[in-house]
Amino acid sequence: MSFQIGIGFNKDPNIELAARKAAIEARRGLIGKRPSITIVFSTIHYPPEITLPIIRQSFTESKIIGCSTAGIILPHSISTRGLGVLTIHHPELTVGIGQIASIDSYQDISKAGALLAQQTLQDFPSQSRDLFLCFTPGVIENLSLLLMGLRSVFGNVFPVVGAGSCDDFHFRKTFQIFQDEVLLNSAVGLLLGCPGISVSIGSAHGWRPIGKPRIVTKSIGNVIYTIDKKPAASLYEEFFAQKMDDLRNDPIGKMTILYPLGLLSYETGEYLLRNPIDILYDGSILCQGDVAQGSEVHIMIGNKESCKSAFEFAANEALTGLRGKQPQLLLVIESMSRLKLFGHSAHQEHEGFNKIFNSEIPTIGFYSNGEFCPSENGDASKRTHLQNGSVVICAIG
Amino acid sequence: MDIISYILLIGICVMLIIAGVLAAILMGKSEKLEAASTSLDQLKSTFENLDKEAKEIIKTDIKINQAQEELDRRLNGLESLQKTSRLISTTLDENEIFHRLQHSLANNLSYEKKLIFLYDDNHNLQSRLNVGIQTEDVYFILTDINKNPDLVKTFQEGHTFSSATAPVQKQEMIKHIFTVEYFVIAPILNQNGLIGIIFVGNQSNAETITRADEEVISILASQIGQSLGNARLFEEVFKSTQILESKVQDRTIKLEQALKEVQDISLKKSEFVSAVSHELRTPLTSIKGYAEILMTGKLGEVPESVKNRLEKINTHSDNLVKLINNLLDIARIESGKAEMLFTKNEMAKIIEDVHDVLTPLMKTKDIDWYTEIDARIPELLLDKGQIDRVFTNLVSNAIKFTPEHGNITIKAKYDNAKQIIETEVVDTGIGMSNDDMKKLFTEFYRIDNKINQSVKGTGLGLSLVKKIIEAHHGKIWVTSQLNMGTSFHFTLPLDPHNIKHEETA
Repeated sequence: MSFQIGIGFNKDPNIELAARKAAIEARRGLIGKRPSITIVFSTIHYPPEITLPIIRQSFTESKIIGCSTAGIILPHSISTRGLGVLTIHHPELTVGIGQIASIDSYQDISKAGALLAQQTLQDFPSQSRDLFLCFTPGVIENLSLLLMGLRSVFGNVFPVVGAGSCDDFHFRKTFQIFQDEVLLNSAVGLLLGCPGISVSIGSAHGWRPIGKPRIVTKSIGNVIYTIDKKPAASLYEEFFAQKMDDLRNDPIGKMTILYPLGLLSYETGEYLLRNPIDILYDGSILCQGDVAQGSEVHIMIGNKESCKSAFEFAANEALTGLRGKQPQLLLVIESMSRLKLFGHSAHQEHEGFNKIFNSEIPTIGFYSNGEFCPSENGDASKRTHLQNGSVVICAIG
Repeated sequence: MDIISYILLIGICVMLIIAGVLAAILMGKSEKLEAASTSLDQLKSTFENLDKEAKEIIKTDIKINQAQEELDRRLNGLESLQKTSRLISTTLDENEIFHRLQHSLANNLSYEKKLIFLYDDNHNLQSRLNVGIQTEDVYFILTDINKNPDLVKTFQEGHTFSSATAPVQKQEMIKHIFTVEYFVIAPILNQNGLIGIIFVGNQSNAETITRADEEVISILASQIGQSLGNARLFEEVFKSTQILESKVQDRTIKLEQALKEVQDISLKKSEFVSAVSHELRTPLTSIKGYAEILMTGKLGEVPESVKNRLEKINTHSDNLVKLINNLLDIARIESGKAEMLFTKNEMAKIIEDVHDVLTPLMKTKDIDWYTEIDARIPELLLDKGQIDRVFTNLVSNAIKFTPEHGNITIKAKYDNAKQIIETEVVDTGIGMSNDDMKKLFTEFYRIDNKINQSVKGTGLGLSLVKKIIEAHHGKIWVTSQLNMGTSFHFTLPLDPHNIKHEETA
C-alpha cells in the first residue's frame, strides 16, 4: 500500500481564489481518495478566517491543522507569499490531533506540552505510532518547556518534530489552525502511525562558533542574566558595536537571528542554537529555549556555504534513515534565520537537496521560528531538542 | 656538650637541611607557577585576540549582510518594476492598467501599504488603488491630506520623497496620516504634468525604507504615468475614431437604404416598362398589320394621299416597335430575365459581319473602315446576337456622328494575364463634352447637338449596349474630345462564367 499525496500551492492576490485553487490542486493529487489529514501552511497575507472555510469545502471529511509561516518551500521555488496545502491518504494511516490554546496563560508551560500530547493520544485510535508533528507559537517565551512536557508523555526517544509559527519577519502576528478554528498563542499537534512505514528525520544548522568561549554565569529557564558575570546583552553590544538601547530599538537588533548564541553540548560536541527573542531592560537576554547556567556559550556565525552543506547533510541523513526505502513524502521545516541569511537567493540553499532526492517525490516545506528536531551529530538516542536556525527534513517512506 | 645540646644541634642541622630543601622546592614551584602564569596570560591574550578578530569578522559580516539585504531589496525592487512595467505597458485601457497594478503591486512589492491617488478634474486627489489599507481608512487619509495645505502643496510640487530623505516635520506628518514608520511618496507624471501620487509604506519598524526604495518607486511612478498617459491618449483617439466610425456607419446605412430604394424603384420601373411594352406591342402589331393590308389595296383602291399616310403609319409603327423592343431588352437584362446564350465565337468574325452589314451606310458618307485585330485572340464565350447589337449600335453611332470622308477603326487586343479582350470603336467624329460623357449611358439621354436634332433616336441604344456588356461581366467606357473624335472601349472576358465565380469568391 502506498501513500496518495496531494500538494497545492497558490499565491493569487485574490485571497478566496488562492484558497480555492490551492485546495483543489491538493485534492486532485489524491485521485479521488479520502484524505486522512490535511495540513495548511499560509503566509500572513492570506487571512485564515477567509481561507480556512474555503479549504474546508474541499476537505469536509479530513482533519485539518496548520500554521502561519514566513514562506513556503516547494521543490523548485521559495515563495514568501502564498498558501500551501498538503493532504495525505493511506488506507492504514491513523491520525490523532490535539490543541492547547492560550499557552502563555500556563504558569508551567511543560504542563501545556503534556496536555497537548495527551489530547492528541486521546484522538489517536491505534497503538502503533510513528511521528508527532506540532506547530507552536513562534514568539512563546520558552519552547523548551513545551518540548519537555511532550517528552514526558511520548518518552525521550519518540520522534517529535515541531515548528514555531512565524510571520514575515515582523514578529507580530502568527497563527495556528486546528480543524475549523484559527488560534493564536496555541499549539497544535498531529500524531500519526501507519503499519510498515518508515519515518526518518535529518537535521542540521551550519552555524559555527566565533570568538572566545564564555560562560553563562546566571540564567533561569530561558532568560540569560549574565555571561562572564556581565549583563548578557553586553555580548551583542561588543560584537555589534551598538549600545543596548540601539540593539533593542534599531533594526540591527533583528540581525541577532543571524548571530544566535551557541551552547556547547559536552556529550556530542554539538552546538545548540538559541535565538535571542528580546533584550530586557536589565541587559538580560530572553531566548526561545532553555539555557542552562554554567553552559559554555559562543556567538555563532553562519554563511551561505556552511548552511548549504548543512542542508545537504540533513537531506542525506533523512535518506539514510529510511534504510533503503523509497521516500514517498518529504516535509521540510526550515528556520526563518536561513531565509534571512540567503535573502533573494534562498532557492540556492536547496540545490543539494535536489541532488539527493528525486524531484518527483512530493515535497513541501515552510519556514519556522524555532524547530523541534533531533540533534545534528546524533546522540544515538535521537533525542529531540529545541533548535534555532536549523533545517529539519522529515522523510516518510 | 651535653646530650641535649647535641640533640638540639642535630635538630637545628636537620631543620636547616629541611629548610634548605624546602627553599629549593619552593624556588622550583615558584618558577613553575611563574611559567604557568605566563602561559595563562598568553592564553588569555590569544583568546582576547581571537575575540577581537571575531568582533571584526562579525562587524564585517553585519555590513555584508546589510549590503546583501540592500542588494536584495534593489533586486526585488527592480524585478517587481520590470514585471509591473511589462504588465501595464501592454494595455491601453486605464481600468485594465489599475487591475494589473493591483495584482502586481500586491504580489511583487513587499511593502505593507500601497496607495495610488489620482487628481480629478477639480484637482482633488481621489483613491484609485489600495493594497493593505482598509477602504474606510483611505477616506480618513484623504480627509487628513486635504486638511493640510502644506502637504497638498508638497504633493503638487511633484518631487519624490521618503522617510529616508524628507525633513523630520514632513516625515512625522506623513507617518501620522498614513500610520506607517517608513514610506516613499512619488509623483505620477505624464506628458501633461502631474496626474497623481503613489504611496508605499511599512508600519513595522522591522522593514526600513532606503534610498533604493525611493529610486524604485520613483521609476515605477514614472512608468505608471507613462502608461496612463498612453491610455488616455489612446482613449481620446479611440473616442474620435469611434465617433467618426459611427458617422461613417450612419452614412453607409443611409446610402445603403437609398441604394435599395433606387434599386427597388429601378426594378419596379423595369417591370412597369416590361409590362407596358408588352401591352403596347400587341395593338401596335395589329395597327401595323392593318396598315400593310390597307396599303396592298386588297380591301379596295387606296388613294395616293391615303397611301402616303399609311406608309407614315407603317414607318412610325416600325420605330415604335424598335423602341419597345429596346425597352423590353433593357428591362429583361436589368431584371435578370434575359438569359445570355453563351457560345464560342471568334471576335474577328463578329467584326467582319458588322462590317458587311454596315458597309452600305458607310459608303453613303465615304467613311473608311480600318481594323486592328490581335491575331492571338482565342475563341471566347459570348451571346453572339447581343454582341452583334453592341457592335451595330456603336458603329452606327460612329457613322452617324462622323462627317463625310472620315474613318472608323475597330481595335481588339488580347490581355492574357487578365483573360480578357479589350475592344475599341474609334471614330473621327464630332466628339463630345465631359458632361455628355458622364451621362451618355443613361436611359433616354441624347446629346444635344445638330446631328441629334435632325436624326431621330430613342436614347436607349447605349444604355442597352452597357447592359449587354455588363451581362457578359465586361466593362464599357468612353473617351472623347470635342471635334476630335470618340472612342468607345469595352472589355469582354474569355469566359464570363469564370469571371462570375471569381467575383463571387
